[in-house]
Amino acid sequence: MPPLKPKLDGAPMKDTPTSFALPVVSDAAAAPAQDVVGEALDHASSRSVADEGAYGKTYWRSLEEKLGTAEYLEVTKPEFPEGADLPPTGVARREFMQLLGASMALAGATACSTRPVDERLVPFTRTPPELTPGNPLHYASGMTFGGSTSGLLITAREGRPIKVEGNPQHPVNQGAASQFEQSFLMSLYDPQRARVLRNGKSPKAVRTFGEEMAIISDRATQENGGARIRFLTEPNTSPVLAHLRERIQERLPQARFHTYASVSQDPASEATRALFGQPASAMYDLSKADIILSLDADFLESRPANLGNARAFARRRDPAEGKLNRLYMCEPRLSVTGGMADHRLRVKSQEVLSIASAVAARIGGNLAEVAAAGARKAPLSSEFQKWVDVVASDLRENAGRCVVIAGERQPAAVHALAAALNAELGAVGNTVRYVPATVTETTDASALRSLVDELMAGQVDTLVITAWNPVYRTPVDLGLEKALSAENPHRSKLTVIYTSLFEDETSQHADWFVPAAHEMEAWGDGRAEDGTVSIIQPLTQPIFNGVPASELLAYFLHEPFRTSYQILRDFWRGRAEVADFDTAWETWVSMGIVPEASAQSLTEGPNVQAARAVVDAYTPAATGELEVNFVPSYAVFDGQFANITWLQELADPISKIVWDNAAYISPATAKRLGLEAGDVAVLTYRDRTLEVPVWPLPGTTDDVVVLPLGYGRQGLHEVVARDVGFNANLVRTAKAPWFEGGATLTKTKKTHKFALTQSHWRMEGRPLAMDMSVADFHEHTGEGAKLYRVRGELPNVLPDFEYDGYKWAMAIDLARCTGCSACVIACQAENNIPVVGKEQVLRGREMHWLRLDRYFSGDEMGDVEMVVQPVMCVHCEKAPCEYVCPVNATVHSDEGLNDMVYNRCVGTRYCANNCPYKVRRFNYLHYTADKSPTEKMLMNPDVTVRARGVMEKCTYCVQRIERVRIDARVQKRPIYEKELQSACQQTCPTEAISFGTLSDPNAQVTKDHNDERSYMLLHELGTRPRTAHMVRLRNPNPALVPPKPAEAHEGGH
Amino acid sequence: MAETAAHSAAPLDPLEPRHLVAPHHDDKSLNETLLDHVWRKPGKGWFMLLGVAMSALGLLVIGVSYTLFKGIGAWGNNQPNSWGFGIINFVWWVGIGHAGTLISAILLLFQQKWRTSINRFAEAMTLFAVVCAGIFPLLHTGRPWFAFWLFPYPSTLGAWPQFRSPLVWDVFAISTYLTVSALFWFVGLIPDLAALRDSSKSLIQRRIYGLFALGWRGSGRHWHNYKIAYLLLAGLSTPLVVSVHTIVSFDFAVSQLPGWHATIFPPYFVAGAVFSGFAMVITLIVPARKYLKLRDVITDRHLENMNKVILATGLIVSYGYLMEHFIAWYSGSEYEIWTFYVNRARGPYAGVYWLMITCNVITPNIFWFKKARTSIPIMWVASIVVNIGMWCERFIIIVTSLSQDFLPSSWDVFTPTWVDWSIYIGTMGLFGTLFLLFLKFVPAVAVAEVKELQLELKHAAVHGADGVEASAAGTLTHGVH
Repeated sequence: MPPLKPKLDGAPMKDTPTSFALPVVSDAAAAPAQDVVGEALDHASSRSVADEGAYGKTYWRSLEEKLGTAEYLEVTKPEFPEGADLPPTGVARREFMQLLGASMALAGATACSTRPVDERLVPFTRTPPELTPGNPLHYASGMTFGGSTSGLLITAREGRPIKVEGNPQHPVNQGAASQFEQSFLMSLYDPQRARVLRNGKSPKAVRTFGEEMAIISDRATQENGGARIRFLTEPNTSPVLAHLRERIQERLPQARFHTYASVSQDPASEATRALFGQPASAMYDLSKADIILSLDADFLESRPANLGNARAFARRRDPAEGKLNRLYMCEPRLSVTGGMADHRLRVKSQEVLSIASAVAARIGGNLAEVAAAGARKAPLSSEFQKWVDVVASDLRENAGRCVVIAGERQPAAVHALAAALNAELGAVGNTVRYVPATVTETTDASALRSLVDELMAGQVDTLVITAWNPVYRTPVDLGLEKALSAENPHRSKLTVIYTSLFEDETSQHADWFVPAAHEMEAWGDGRAEDGTVSIIQPLTQPIFNGVPASELLAYFLHEPFRTSYQILRDFWRGRAEVADFDTAWETWVSMGIVPEASAQSLTEGPNVQAARAVVDAYTPAATGELEVNFVPSYAVFDGQFANITWLQELADPISKIVWDNAAYISPATAKRLGLEAGDVAVLTYRDRTLEVPVWPLPGTTDDVVVLPLGYGRQGLHEVVARDVGFNANLVRTAKAPWFEGGATLTKTKKTHKFALTQSHWRMEGRPLAMDMSVADFHEHTGEGAKLYRVRGELPNVLPDFEYDGYKWAMAIDLARCTGCSACVIACQAENNIPVVGKEQVLRGREMHWLRLDRYFSGDEMGDVEMVVQPVMCVHCEKAPCEYVCPVNATVHSDEGLNDMVYNRCVGTRYCANNCPYKVRRFNYLHYTADKSPTEKMLMNPDVTVRARGVMEKCTYCVQRIERVRIDARVQKRPIYEKELQSACQQTCPTEAISFGTLSDPNAQVTKDHNDERSYMLLHELGTRPRTAHMVRLRNPNPALVPPKPAEAHEGGH
Repeated sequence: MAETAAHSAAPLDPLEPRHLVAPHHDDKSLNETLLDHVWRKPGKGWFMLLGVAMSALGLLVIGVSYTLFKGIGAWGNNQPNSWGFGIINFVWWVGIGHAGTLISAILLLFQQKWRTSINRFAEAMTLFAVVCAGIFPLLHTGRPWFAFWLFPYPSTLGAWPQFRSPLVWDVFAISTYLTVSALFWFVGLIPDLAALRDSSKSLIQRRIYGLFALGWRGSGRHWHNYKIAYLLLAGLSTPLVVSVHTIVSFDFAVSQLPGWHATIFPPYFVAGAVFSGFAMVITLIVPARKYLKLRDVITDRHLENMNKVILATGLIVSYGYLMEHFIAWYSGSEYEIWTFYVNRARGPYAGVYWLMITCNVITPNIFWFKKARTSIPIMWVASIVVNIGMWCERFIIIVTSLSQDFLPSSWDVFTPTWVDWSIYIGTMGLFGTLFLLFLKFVPAVAVAEVKELQLELKHAAVHGADGVEASAAGTLTHGVH
């Protein structure tokens, strides 16, 4: 494995190879010694074309940088050249470009943004229409990812987007946003983003590119209708891009669009196509589901419906909201959803079908035939029989109030069985409805087979790739890289056009590389899975000269240039049936949502007989040896977020590993194979080998090896992501994209060092993350449940603090928390928390203020239960940190906050020693140094950026309290509960965190503090935390509860 | 040795069967013997040792510069081990610094005559150990350039230190201790500096020693004032012997960490400090008395007495360990029990723990045997072992308690870096350098006091053993009359 790569927030540019000698725009400060800029200038000036207009200014920027300050970007950003803002519609393109070129020349070296823009970004309704310096503005926008568009609300400060939250008006997000959406902001400012449009190694102007594409498309139109043109795109959810595609197809009827996603919904589509006659998405209403059976479905985390599912599921885990639901889960690895299960069965992936069939067989009715067909394909192992019986009877007893969910990794047969079960159990229409899928085309690797064959046969002249990095993320047996490389004899005839945010694995094979505009730099739209259309509003001008996706496609139409804004607006003007479009548009943009009718449920129920055909068509995967399983990473997904340091340093919710992926195996399998944590083993599978470091993880099924995708990136300029982990795509095949038996692991002598944020996973019998069954909770709230140690009054010799106003407090519900980690990223973004890199995490110096403690209980060799406990500063009433600080740097506020005074801190670290919760974080090094000018733009100006040598910790988002206090004071009223949310609370999809003042008896946090499940962590120390935790309740089926001595499982380690 | 001569000269006190000063000396010969190493040209050995010490000192310079340049991140400290080598070494050095004050002040007040030959030596050791210790609290702060905020001064920030914090108490305790030890040492030196001035062979030497002798002429008035000052300083130092390490122990005892939060800490730390301090004196004095030819004044009796102190304090330290473990069990607190019985005894640092038990609990018990108490090689090795053990003790107290406390999720190990080791070794270099310079430039034994003792002993030889006591008491109270 590669050596450790200490990377700070700003991975130094000096590591960037300059094989393309690309002009490096920013980071003068980061690379002063090396004359990268000078080289780039020489390179650029020798190649630049004098009369190139619009986008040729990169070189001027370089000059600017060479002459000027490091902050030049911010200084020059708003300076448009004169005349550049003329409305281009109606003006001949050439004339416009000439004008632009002239103005460019006149504007001289300061002319930096020449994008012709007259675009209004409409602020969200709850903020004032004018920008007041010092006040944040919130803009509704969106992010498209994994075949769905989330509705977002992005906070901008003085023109810089600094924080991403979910759009509260969006029906799916409802204010929440996952770790990916939040971190995506970081890539906007990534100094390693591509910034030069190039043909081969020559920088070109975008105009030149546009002309070239026009020529290609014109010629294709005349010659063969585009028969030799292919597009490779992401799964499309955008109405405007769909429209552009239609128009391209009109112009080039023979051209073909291919779609690829590494995590595709194809099995579900295939099953629903058979059962409903059209691809459909299952929309679950978990709020009505008393019993849930998950067939390897990580429905709380897997895109796109996870946020809504998590919210509805979590509500049913809170006894205050009604009867608890019960989750049965069968899966090969412990997932986030598996951690929430009441009964979890460790099975191999290929055994899931047998479970589904056996459950169907027990349910009987119309399912007898399909169940028999399934059982033929996959006979049930006898050890699972009891579990299946219990699950089936529980489902039957709760018919109409239960739901069966099949996972995206499972084949169509399992999806068909799940749909049939839902139909038979009366779930359809109650707990699940099927809506037409937003993405209808096939998106998995097999769909690219024909494309690769055509490429190899020389039947393609032009390949336009807008999909993210297919060379990296397509399975190895597809041979796409070979088809794009010199090994393809017809390669010279092929022109590959690729657009991406980064120069990555695919861009190495691109003839034309077009730096893409970030979604926060261009206008667009997209659909959520439930059909809600969001307008994706840019927050800034393209920082690195990226070209928006819609503009790129529009070049193939050979029309007068229109910006992404005009393309989008024109499209919706033509489509919307509203009287006053302009007003409607303003509303849509400010709300972020186009009020189109959301998707109608399919009226017909699933055709259960068709399910049998799907099951019959299923070919069981190979068995034997170890079953290899591919899963998307919880941190970087399939690799497209791998250059985002926030995500690289986000601990995997289960294994707590950062900056790496590992081959996860069960402890029993590890023992059998003689492997220990960190051993490097050779994985042999289908005649391919890959060296993987293994990590035994409790809860993994025996004889299974789990390989997370998304690591082992080799992107040219992606310094953060490069060589982190191993690339599982190198053994992934199109035939078996998710799992298959027949793999072996052979120990080597090498070892690999993993960085973990939590290395001890047992509670050692201590009453920390309280977790018990409903029965236990009610039977003995006293002694047996250990609750007496975490509740009640304690003797107190010191006088209490007096409060006349607010008493800030928080409550965290362990019953709701899934461990998804969205709050960790929210906290990091809100509070300018630095990323420290793997080497520092190895030393135990991660800086996250909010951490998710994950504990296992049970037999590590067998079945384990997992509980997650978010811990941040609990703002003790009697804070042990306060009295030991020699300089008064951490003090009690008159509202009960435990304030940290950075200016005063000298860094004795005594407070951290005396903090029993170990929530204090020390800046051992200057983690915030070496930020590039663009990375500095990410910082929240309301929060101090801490330097070396000071302590920091959770502040209860004191800056948010102060901001709402201003309004409240002006209006002479108290702060309302609704207007104040901490960052973690705001983004939590499961509403597990409540925050507010205990002085308000009606506030949610007060109710939570008085709840019967509320307790204080380490209560016996007398610290009297202001953060209460709430006991997690499990709802096990008595029929499956093992005979009693289960209590002894704790503390045995 | 001059044992036989002594027997013939006078009957020995049955309680003190051996000589404190070899009896064949008179004032002149004492002067010659004790000042000889100052006037003698340093030998090769001295230069070699100085070379070694200064090389180590170079490591200190490198380590400190790197730390200041990079930040505390250059050390192995992490979350949860916020304190590491910095505080371990601080406590270790402060502990070593205890022998000097104890010998000088408490033994003076208790009129233990045997202290005279070794007090200068021990005081110098104290002073240099405290200098080494003083580096750490300053250096270990995240922003040492603001460390002065720990001092109470009328700041324009309008902020005072937080007086509830033991770290502020530390500031007072250590700075007082350093000041008093330095004064005590210097005041004791004055008559000897004058003696050096008077025996100087060059003008420059005479001027320099004369400057530091502060015009001492040995008049009755000088002796009168000198004795009062010395006695007062001894009185001032006495509480410091107890207070400094008590306050250092408060750094731990005041917190609520399992393994730190213990009421036995003050006496147990003081005993440990004396234990390690005496061990360090043995370590240094054994070779010094050989090469400086001081065997006549630092006799085997001195060494044996010090070994007795080591035995006694070692037993107190062992009792401290026993009590810690007992209370942890008796408290019933699973956190305490985990710290003492699981983490320390069987955890990742179990090796260090058992080394500590071996060095501190088992080793001193060899001094029950007279043979061991009087054997130079055994005591020298044992003294080094004791100081290794005491370093391990501080490591165990600080690192094991921090590395596994209340929430298992935060547990992590501490691994020192090369910077940690260089600073630690570097302070030994600093200590060695200062000590070698001390041996070269000032008398290692308090010449005036030894002469006084010599006269007393002679007096006693004439008037019997009781006369010694009366005379010694008379010397001390002489000025009052």
